[in-house]
Amino acid sequence: MLVKKGKSRTQYTPEAGVILAANPASSATGRKSPEGAMNGVLATTMDRRTFLKRSGLVAGGGALATQLPYNMIGSAEAADVAKDKTGVEVKRTICTHCSVGCAVDAIVENGVWVRQEPVFDSPINLGAHCAKGASVREHGHGEHRLKYPMKLVDGKYKKISWDQALTEISDKLLAIRKESGPDATYWVGSSKQSNEQSYMFRKFVSFFGTNNMDHQARVCHSTTVAGVANTWGYGAMTNSYNDMQFSKAALYIGSNAAEAHPVSMLHMLHSKENGCKMAVVDPRFTRTAAKADYYSRIRSGTDIPFIWGMLYHIFKNGWEDKEYLKARVHGIEKVKEEVMKWTPDKVQDVTGIPEAEVLRIADMLANNKPSTVVWCMGQTQHTVGNANVRAMCILQLVLGNVGVSGGGTNIFRGHDNVQGATDVGPNPDSLPGYYGLAAGSWKHWCAVWGVDYEWVKKQFASQVMMEKSGITVSRWIDGVLEKNENIDQDSNIRAVVYWGMAPNSQSRGLEMVEAMKKLDLLVVVDPYPSATAAMSAMMRKDGVYLLPACTQFETVGSATASNRSIQWREKVIEPLFESKPDHTIMYAFAKKFGFEKEFCKNIKIDKDKQGWDEPNVEDILREINRGVWTIGYTGQSPERLKLHMKNMHTFDVKTLKANGGPCDGEYFGLPWPCFGTPEMKHPGTPNLYDTSKHVMDGGGNFRANFGVERDGVSLLAEDGSASKGADLQMGYPEFDHVLLKKLGWWDDLTDDEKKLAEGKNWKTDRSGGIQRVVMKVHGCHPFGNAKARAVVWNFPDPVPLHREPMYSPRPDLVEKYPQGADKKVFWRLPTLFKSLQDKVKDISKEFPIVMTSGRLVEYEGGGEETRSNPWLAELQQEMFAEVNPKDANNAGVRNGEFMWVETPSKGRMKLRAQVTERVAPGTVFLPFHFSGWWQGKDMLEFYPEGAAPIVRGESVNQGTTYGYDSVTMMQETKTTLCRVVRA
Amino acid sequence: MARMKFLCDAERCIECNGCVTACKNEHELPWGVNRRRVVTINDGVPGEKSISVSCMHCSDAPCMAVCPTDCFYKTEEGVVLHNKDACIGCGYCFFACPFGAPQFPNGPAAFGTRGKMDKCTFCAGGPEENGSKAEYEKYGSNRISEGKLPACAEMCATKALLAGDAPVISDIFRDRALRRGKAGDAAWGWTTAYGKPEQAAPVAKEGAK
Amino acid sequence: MKKALFLALTVTVGLSLSACGEYSQVASYKPGNYQGKSDTRPWEGGQFAGNKQAWEAALNSRNQTQNEYKRTH
Repeated sequence: MLVKKGKSRTQYTPEAGVILAANPASSATGRKSPEGAMNGVLATTMDRRTFLKRSGLVAGGGALATQLPYNMIGSAEAADVAKDKTGVEVKRTICTHCSVGCAVDAIVENGVWVRQEPVFDSPINLGAHCAKGASVREHGHGEHRLKYPMKLVDGKYKKISWDQALTEISDKLLAIRKESGPDATYWVGSSKQSNEQSYMFRKFVSFFGTNNMDHQARVCHSTTVAGVANTWGYGAMTNSYNDMQFSKAALYIGSNAAEAHPVSMLHMLHSKENGCKMAVVDPRFTRTAAKADYYSRIRSGTDIPFIWGMLYHIFKNGWEDKEYLKARVHGIEKVKEEVMKWTPDKVQDVTGIPEAEVLRIADMLANNKPSTVVWCMGQTQHTVGNANVRAMCILQLVLGNVGVSGGGTNIFRGHDNVQGATDVGPNPDSLPGYYGLAAGSWKHWCAVWGVDYEWVKKQFASQVMMEKSGITVSRWIDGVLEKNENIDQDSNIRAVVYWGMAPNSQSRGLEMVEAMKKLDLLVVVDPYPSATAAMSAMMRKDGVYLLPACTQFETVGSATASNRSIQWREKVIEPLFESKPDHTIMYAFAKKFGFEKEFCKNIKIDKDKQGWDEPNVEDILREINRGVWTIGYTGQSPERLKLHMKNMHTFDVKTLKANGGPCDGEYFGLPWPCFGTPEMKHPGTPNLYDTSKHVMDGGGNFRANFGVERDGVSLLAEDGSASKGADLQMGYPEFDHVLLKKLGWWDDLTDDEKKLAEGKNWKTDRSGGIQRVVMKVHGCHPFGNAKARAVVWNFPDPVPLHREPMYSPRPDLVEKYPQGADKKVFWRLPTLFKSLQDKVKDISKEFPIVMTSGRLVEYEGGGEETRSNPWLAELQQEMFAEVNPKDANNAGVRNGEFMWVETPSKGRMKLRAQVTERVAPGTVFLPFHFSGWWQGKDMLEFYPEGAAPIVRGESVNQGTTYGYDSVTMMQETKTTLCRVVRA
Repeated sequence: MARMKFLCDAERCIECNGCVTACKNEHELPWGVNRRRVVTINDGVPGEKSISVSCMHCSDAPCMAVCPTDCFYKTEEGVVLHNKDACIGCGYCFFACPFGAPQFPNGPAAFGTRGKMDKCTFCAGGPEENGSKAEYEKYGSNRISEGKLPACAEMCATKALLAGDAPVISDIFRDRALRRGKAGDAAWGWTTAYGKPEQAAPVAKEGAK
Repeated sequence: MKKALFLALTVTVGLSLSACGEYSQVASYKPGNYQGKSDTRPWEGGQFAGNKQAWEAALNSRNQTQNEYKRTH
C-alpha cells in the first residue's frame, strides 16, 4: 500500500494517506455508498498504522552510507528536492479542546494533515499548547472514529448507508411527532459545534417544533450565565486570560486551571513573575494550587460561607470601595446584613478554613488591586451554583474590581465553543442571543430568518409550548422516566438525538441507562460513537442509530473563546471516512422534514465533494450578524474575523488591541459585544463594563436590564459614572425609538434606518441605526447605564445563602442550612430539594466520604475523543480515584489496587486507588472523563467494532446522585457522598 | 556557534504533558516510546514541582562513552545523535544514561522484543539526508534543519521548557528568576552557589520593583 | 596511549585468528569514535541550501519566540 508517488519531496509524507486524498475515487475496497464517492478511506487509513510503526523497522536497511567522517557531506540532491513544494498548504485553525482558543497551524500536503506548527503570532497562546492542543493533528488519523452510519440490529451495530439512515430516522421522528407531538423528542446539541452550526441547530429544532434542546453549558456554566447576567448584564467572563497580566492578585476558587485551561497559566505565571499574588481555594491540592502563593482547603460545597467570611473581614476593615458601591451597585446593605452573620468561627466550622487563612486571602485581594477571581465547575456544579457565582460577583463589586483591567470575574468556560453555543446555540429557554422565548422574540427571529411567524408557530404543539422553556439536558432522563401526569408537557420523551455531547457528563448514570432502554428511538450524531452507543447497546437490541459527524478540523466556522473573542477556523482536511459536517447533516434532515427552504432562506447552498447540499457557513455567520443585537454578535463579519486571523501578530498580548496594521485599534477576535453593523467598525469589548474607555473603544457600564427603579430606589447608575465621553454622564435606561425621539436623537438616523427602527429598541432594530446613533454619535451604551445588582430579587435566594449540599457529611449543618422547598414544575419537571435532603440527612453514616470530580489535563469532557487519541491515551491509561492514605488504610486499600467507590444511588465504580494527600481525609476525587466500563465490566463488546476508545474506565457519573440548581437545573456533581471498599 | 540545550523552568512547568504529545505528534512516535516525559516530585503536597526530561544532550555523554558499536555522534551544535544502522539495541546506553532517555521500541524479530534504541534528537534527525523520508522514518522530523527549535519547547504551555542556544535560553530563564524577585526555589541556583537567602536579598529587591 | 595499545592488541588477536582460517570475530571499532554514516549539517541541503547565516538567523529569531517578555514589552 505504500505506493511511491512520482516526485520526491523534501518532507516525509504519510504515503497511504496521500494516495487516498489525491484520488478520492480510487477505492481500495470498492465500497460505494448511494451518495457517491464515499471511498474506502477506512481500509486505507488503517494501513497507515503499519506505516507509523516505523521506528526501528527501517533501521539497518540502508547501509550504503559513505564512510567519510561525520558532517562531511553536503547533499547536492537535497537542494533540488527543496524546491518541490507543490501541494503543501498551511491552514490556520483553533484547538477544539478548551475555551482558551489556542491557534494551530496545520501543514497539509496533498490533502493530508502532515504536521502541526505552533502559531507564535497568536496573542492568546503565543504558540503554546497543553497535551491536548499539541496532539490535535491526531484528528487527521481518527482511527477510532465512527466511520459510517450504523444501526443497532440484534444488539450489534451494523453498517448502513446514509440514505437508509436518514430515511429511517426521519420516518421514525415524524411518526413520533405525529403520534405524541414534537415535545416527545429531545435534542442534545453541542458546545463543540461552531457558532454557525450551533445557531443552525437552534433553528433546526425550533422548526421541528420543540424547545426540548440543550447542550453542555447546562452542566458546565449555566449557573454562571444566569447568576452573572442577572447581577450586571451579561453572563460571561468579564475580562480575558491576557488581561490577567495586569492583575496584582488572583483568587482561583473551584478552578484547576493548570489542568483544565493549561495555557491560561502562561498568562498567570507571567503575571506572578511580575508580582501578582495568587491564591487557590479548593478541596484538592491541585496542580494549580502547587503554583499558588496561598492554598486553602475548603470543604466541598461551602463556597458562600467562605466568600462571606472574606467579605466579613473586608467590611470590618473598611476595605470596601465605598464610592464604587455607591455609584454603581444596588442593594449591598442587604448583603452586608447576611455577611456579618458569618463570623470567623462559623466560617471555620462550615468551610474548614481557619480565620487567619480567610483573612490572608481577603487581605491579598483587597490590598493588591486590581485583583481578579477565577472560577469554574467547582463553583457552578452545585444546587446553590447560581448563588455561589453571585457571591463571587458581589465580592468583586465590593472591591470595585469589575469593569477594571486586571480585575473582573474571569470565568473560564470549558469547551472550545461553549461560550458561543450558549450565546447563539440550542438553549431550551432562549432563542439565539438571549432573546428568550416570548412572542416578540420569535417575531424578531422570524424576521431575521425570513420566515413567517405563523408558520413557525404551527410547527409547535401550541403557542404555549413555543414560549415554554424546554427540558434541560441534565434532566432529559426524567422527561422519559417521570410519570406522565407530573410533567409539564403532553407526552413523555420518546426519542432522543445526542448530537455531539457525551452522556457520561450527566449525573445519575444508572437512571440514564434505564431511560435509554425505555426510548423508542436514540440517535447519536458524533465523530466518535461516544458512550451513548455503548450504554444503549448494553440496554437494548435495536432502535439506536449512529451517524458520523466530522470534527471542526474538517469544516469551516467560527468559535468563541472564553474571553468572548471569536476566531475563524479554516478547513484543514476533507471530512474523513463517510463523515459530514453537522450543518450538512442538519440540512439533509431538514429536507426529510420538509422545511429546508425555510431553514436556509438567506443562506446559499453549496455542493460538497460528494454532491451533498451544504449550507454556506459564511452566510450563516452573516445571518447571525443580522440578528444578535443583544450581545453584539453583529459586528463580526466573516471578513473581519479572517482579517484578524491573518494579522494576529499585530495584536498586543496584554491588551489584545491591534497597534497599527489593517486591524488598528480593534481587539483580537472582536470580543463580543461588538455592536452595530460590521461597517460601524466597533472594535469589540476586551473588558466588560469598563467606564474608563469610550464605548467606541470597547468601553461600557452595567446594563439596565431590570427596570429603572425598585421599591422607590433608582437602579440607574449615579451621576458621573458613565463611560468615557458619553453624552449622558449619568445613569440612563436602555434605548428604544421613544427615548431616541425624546432626546432629539431620532433625526441622527438615516431615512432607511428610520424605517426599520420605528417602534423598535436597540435589540430589535435590524438596521443597527439605534446602536449607531447611540454609540457613534453620542458615545452612550445602547443597553443603558445602571447599577449592578447585589440583590437578585427574581431568584429563590435574592441574597446568596449557604445551603448544605443535598448529600452532606454534616447532618447538624443540614438542619441549620437546609435546601429550599421542592418545586412542582421546574423546567417542565417536578424537582426535589428539601424533601430529598431530609430523607438522606443521615446517610453519611453509611457513606461517610465526600465524592467530588474534576478534569485531567490529558482528557476533555466525556473523554471519548481524547481517549481515542493514542498520544493522549498513553498518558492516562486507567480510571482512578484519589483517596487520602487515612481513608485508604481504613478501607484496607493499597495504592494502585482496584477498589470500589460506592454511592447512595447504588452507583458502584471499580477503579484504581491513587493514595495521595492531594485530597484530605474524608474526600475522594474522581476524574470525569472516563466511560466504557459499567460497574466493573468492560463495555468493549457494546461499541461498534473498531470504534471503541483506546482507554476505557468507569464513569464517575454512573454514581452521582440527585441534586439540581434552584435556577438553572445545573446538576450537583461536585459534592455527593460515597464509601470506599476494597475490590 | 550555538550550543543547543534544554532548560526546564520548574516554577513554570505545570505537568501538562504538552511537550510529551508535541514530541509524539512531531515524530509519530508509537505507543510506549517516550522520548520526553514529565517527572514530578512531592506529588500532591506543598512543594510539588515538575520538570520535563528527555535526552539532555550531554557535553560528555555517557551513552557515547559506553556504546559498544560507537553509534553515537555529536553535531557541531552539541546535539547527541545516533546511527540506528549501527545500533544493536543492547541497552548499554540505557544503563549509562542518568535520565532514562534511551527508549527501546518493539523492533523487528531479529532483536526479539527489543528494538534499536530511540531517543530525543533535539528534533535534529539523524545521519540521513536532512528532511528525507529515510531520516523521518528512522529518527523523526528534522526541525533544526528547517531553522526551527524542538517541538516540545516550542509548544510548551507555559514556556517552561526552553530549547536552543544555551546562553540565549539561560538569559530568558535568568530574566524570569530575577523578576520573581525572591530567594528560595526560584533562585536556588544562586543561593546554592552563594549562600543563604539573606545574601541573595539584593537580587530580590531589584526584581521586586 | 592505552587506547593505542588496546587497539594494537585487538588487531593482533584478529589477525592471529584469521590466520587460523577463521573470519574476524571482533569489529574494528575505535572506542568513542563514531565511524558510522555521515550526517549533513543542518544548514546544508533543505531550505537553507548551505546558507549558514540564514539558518542561524532563523534559529535566533525562533529562540526569542520562547520569551513572551520580548513580545509584550
